[in-house]
Amino acid sequence: MTVPAQKPARKLSMKQRYTALTHDLDWTPTYVTEEQIFPYTGFEGIKVHDWSKWEDPFRLTVEAYNKYQAEKDRRLYAVLDGFAQSQGQLGLTEARYMNAMKIFIQGIPIHEYDAHRMFSNCARYLNGPGARFAALCQSMDELRHAQTEIHTLSHYNKYFDGMHDWHKWSDRVWYLSVPKSFFEDAMTAGPFEWLIAIGFSFEYLLTNLLFVPFMSGAAFNGDLPTMTFGFSAQSDESRHMTLGLEAIKFMLEQDEANLPIVQGWLDKWFWRGYRLIALVAGMMDYMLPKRVMSWKEAFELYFEEQMMNGLFKDLEYYGIKPPRDVQWAIDEKEILSHQVYWVLYQYSHAAAFQTTIPNEEDQKWLMEAYPDTWPVFKAAVWDKAQRVMDSGGRYFNPGLPQLCTVCQIPMGFTEPGNPLQQCQRQSVYEGERYDFCSDGCQSIFDNEPVKYRQSWLPVHQIFQGNCGGPTLPDVAAWYGLQPGDGAEYLGSPDNLNWLAWHGQAVKEA
Amino acid sequence: MAVVAMYDYDWPSRSAAEFYGDDQLVHVWWNGNVFFVSAQTFRFPKAMPFGALVNDVLKGFFTADPDFVPESLDGAKWKIDGVAVTPDLDASLEANGVGHKSLVEFSL
Repeated sequence: MTVPAQKPARKLSMKQRYTALTHDLDWTPTYVTEEQIFPYTGFEGIKVHDWSKWEDPFRLTVEAYNKYQAEKDRRLYAVLDGFAQSQGQLGLTEARYMNAMKIFIQGIPIHEYDAHRMFSNCARYLNGPGARFAALCQSMDELRHAQTEIHTLSHYNKYFDGMHDWHKWSDRVWYLSVPKSFFEDAMTAGPFEWLIAIGFSFEYLLTNLLFVPFMSGAAFNGDLPTMTFGFSAQSDESRHMTLGLEAIKFMLEQDEANLPIVQGWLDKWFWRGYRLIALVAGMMDYMLPKRVMSWKEAFELYFEEQMMNGLFKDLEYYGIKPPRDVQWAIDEKEILSHQVYWVLYQYSHAAAFQTTIPNEEDQKWLMEAYPDTWPVFKAAVWDKAQRVMDSGGRYFNPGLPQLCTVCQIPMGFTEPGNPLQQCQRQSVYEGERYDFCSDGCQSIFDNEPVKYRQSWLPVHQIFQGNCGGPTLPDVAAWYGLQPGDGAEYLGSPDNLNWLAWHGQAVKEA
Repeated sequence: MAVVAMYDYDWPSRSAAEFYGDDQLVHVWWNGNVFFVSAQTFRFPKAMPFGALVNDVLKGFFTADPDFVPESLDGAKWKIDGVAVTPDLDASLEANGVGHKSLVEFSL
C-alpha cells in the first residue's frame, strides 16, 4: 500500500493567518440567540447590520502580539536596570521635575487598569470577531501599560516623596477624583459609548496632547525610564488610535440613525477629556524645569491643526461636526495652564505633589510663550504670592474650593475673553442646585442629571464627614499623606535631598 | 433627559441637603479676586445669622490675601444666587434666602 505523497502545507500569508486565527474562530450560535450571547450592544440605540464590516488594519495574532510585546518589555526593563544601577535619578534636571511624574503615577496607571477591564469586557461582549480581537489586544496593552508605568516609576519612589501610596490616593485625594470620575463615567456607559469616549475621543482626539508632553518632557529632563516607557507604549498607542477611528467610522457607516447618538457622545467626551488633560497643561508650562513646547503650541499643533483641520474635515463626509464646545477650548489655550497651576499652587498643602513660584528663568519662558496673558496673571496672583513668601509666609488657600459637579476641578476657569472673571454656572434638578465650571460641563449634566448628581465630590464628602474628619490633618491622614508629600517645593525634603546629593557630588569631584 | 440604561435608572444625589442635617453647604465667592482660585465651599448652620458669616468667618478667612482689609466687607455689594440683595445681618442665612449649595457672592 502506498501512501499518497502529501503536498507540503502551503505557508499562509499574514492576512490568511490572521483570519484563520481570529475571524475564523467565530461561529454562529444555534441553540441560543445572538442577543443572549451579546446582551449589551442593543440598549444604547446603535444599529449594526453587518459586524463583518469592522476593519482591523493591524491583523495581529496573539502569537505575534506576544512576540512584539515581549521584545519591547525586554528593552524597557534593560533600561530600567541600567538606570537604577547607574543612579540615574541624579541626572535629572532637578528634583522638582519629579512632581510631574508624581501626578502621572497617581493619576494614570490605575486608569490604564480600568481601561484594561473595559476592553476585556468589549473583547467578550462585542458581536463581531474583528472588533472583539482588536479590543482583546488593547485590553492586554492597557494591562501592560499599567504594569510598566508602575515598574518604571517605582525606582523614583526610593528617592522622592509623593509616590508611596499612589494607589490609595487615586481613590481618595481631591484632584485625583478628576481622572477617577472621568474613567468611571466612561466605564458605566454602554460599550459603544465607551468606544467613543476612550477609543475615539481620548485615544484619538486627545492622546497626543497627553502623551507627547509627558514623554518629551521626560526626554528633556533626563528621565530615561519614562521616556523609554513612552517609546514602548507608542506602537500600542497607534494601534489604539486606529481602533478608535475604526469604531467611529464603523458606527457611522452601519446606519445613518447612529449619527446623532455618536455626535452627542463626541460632544460630551471631547469636553470631558479636554477638562481632564487640563492637568497636563499646568504640568507642561509650570512643572518641567526644561520645557518642550507650551500647552498653547501643543494645542495648536495636535488639536487645531491635526484634528480640526485634518480629522474633522474627513468626518464631515459622515455628517459629523466638530465637538460642540470646541471654540471654548480654543479660547482657553492662552490661559488654561495659568489657571490650573494656580489651583495646584494654592492647594498643594493637601496634595501629594509640590509647587513653587515660577523662578526667574521660568518667568522668562512664560513671558515668551504667553506674551499677552502671563503679565496679567503675574500681576493678579504671582506678585502677591511672592510678597507673601518674602514676608516669611506661603500662600495656601485656607478653605475648600467650590467644585464643578462634572469635571470635579475647582471652579477656577474663567469666562471666554475675560481671564480674570471666574465662570459660574448652576442648574437646578429636582429642587437641588448643582455647580459647573463651564457651558461644556453644564450641558453634560443637563443631558444626564441623574448620572452626575451621584458625583463623589471630595469637598462635599469632607463636609459630610466621610473623609476622616473635619480638619486638614484629619483629611490628610485619611488620604495617607505624609509630611514632605505636598506643600511648597523649596525647602521640602525632595529639594533638600537634591541639594545634598549634588553638594556631595561636587565635593568628591 | 433620562440616562440610557438597561433598567429604570434612578439614583439619588450624593450631595443632597439631607446629608447635612441642620447645616447646609454654602459657596462664598469674592467676585473679582482670582487670588482665591474659585468660590469657597463651607458648611454652615442654616440658622447662622448673615452678620456672623460676614464678621466671624469671612473677615478672617479672606486675610489670606495680604491686601484684604476686613472692614471693606462692611461696604460690599452682595448677591445671592445671582440676585442683588442687601442682606439682613441679624436674620439667618435661611431667612436671607441662602439655601443648600447657594452662591453667596460679593464684590468690593
